[in-house]
Amino acid sequence: MFNLMLQLQMLLAALSAFLPLVPDKLRARAAEILDVAANALAAGAVVAANVDDLAVKLAAVRAEVEAMAAAGRAVTVEELDEALIRVRAASAAFRAALETAEAGAP
Amino acid sequence: MRHPLRALALALALAATPACASLQLGETRIENPLDAARSIDQRAYALLHSYAAIVEEAGDIVRDPAAPLSLKRALGRAERAATPAVEALQISVAAFLRARADYEAATGADQPALTRAANALTIAANRLSEAVAAAERPVGELEALIRRR
Repeated sequence: MFNLMLQLQMLLAALSAFLPLVPDKLRARAAEILDVAANALAAGAVVAANVDDLAVKLAAVRAEVEAMAAAGRAVTVEELDEALIRVRAASAAFRAALETAEAGAP
Repeated sequence: MRHPLRALALALALAATPACASLQLGETRIENPLDAARSIDQRAYALLHSYAAIVEEAGDIVRDPAAPLSLKRALGRAERAATPAVEALQISVAAFLRARADYEAATGADQPALTRAANALTIAANRLSEAVAAAERPVGELEALIRRR
């Protein structure tokens, strides 16, 4: 997914290079359109990169659970504690980041 | 040049051809760790780690200045909806592990103690099953929000 966004961004950059060839009266409008598309792609690329990261993380969780299931092993208290620590840390970091984003919002 | 716009369109089409040819739409495959679980505690464990991974990625999006504020707020709402269900799941899975340890400890004890431990384990397993089911939907919604964009 991230590769796709990267390719689209490169395509957009290539399109921008042709701007001087556009007639003067249309150039400002074309630049505006390219700018809007670039902003949309930038936001999309942020999420696309995160989707790829998420896919890697979920695949790792699945591999761990598959190994557990194949061995017929039950979850231990230590493993549960580790999972809880991860959940709490992720949740606290997320809320702090959201607070910062809200504070910086116009 | 007689038709500069046509020439431009042709140039663009030619320039875009290799990029389009190499596009692999929908390349990212998202695994569902819950499908790999064979027992209710494994399912709960998979859901807790999946939720943590989803919230970690949601946090990265929220920290990114290029991400739209509307998306950040939507993620915030989804996280607030999912977290209570995940907290309830944490309590249920801890209770289940305790009940299972009690049952294992009671296997050498007399029949009434073993029956009590077995009943407690059944109740804990049912509650855990309900907690997993209740947490799956809001966690899935948070994940969908990340994937949808």
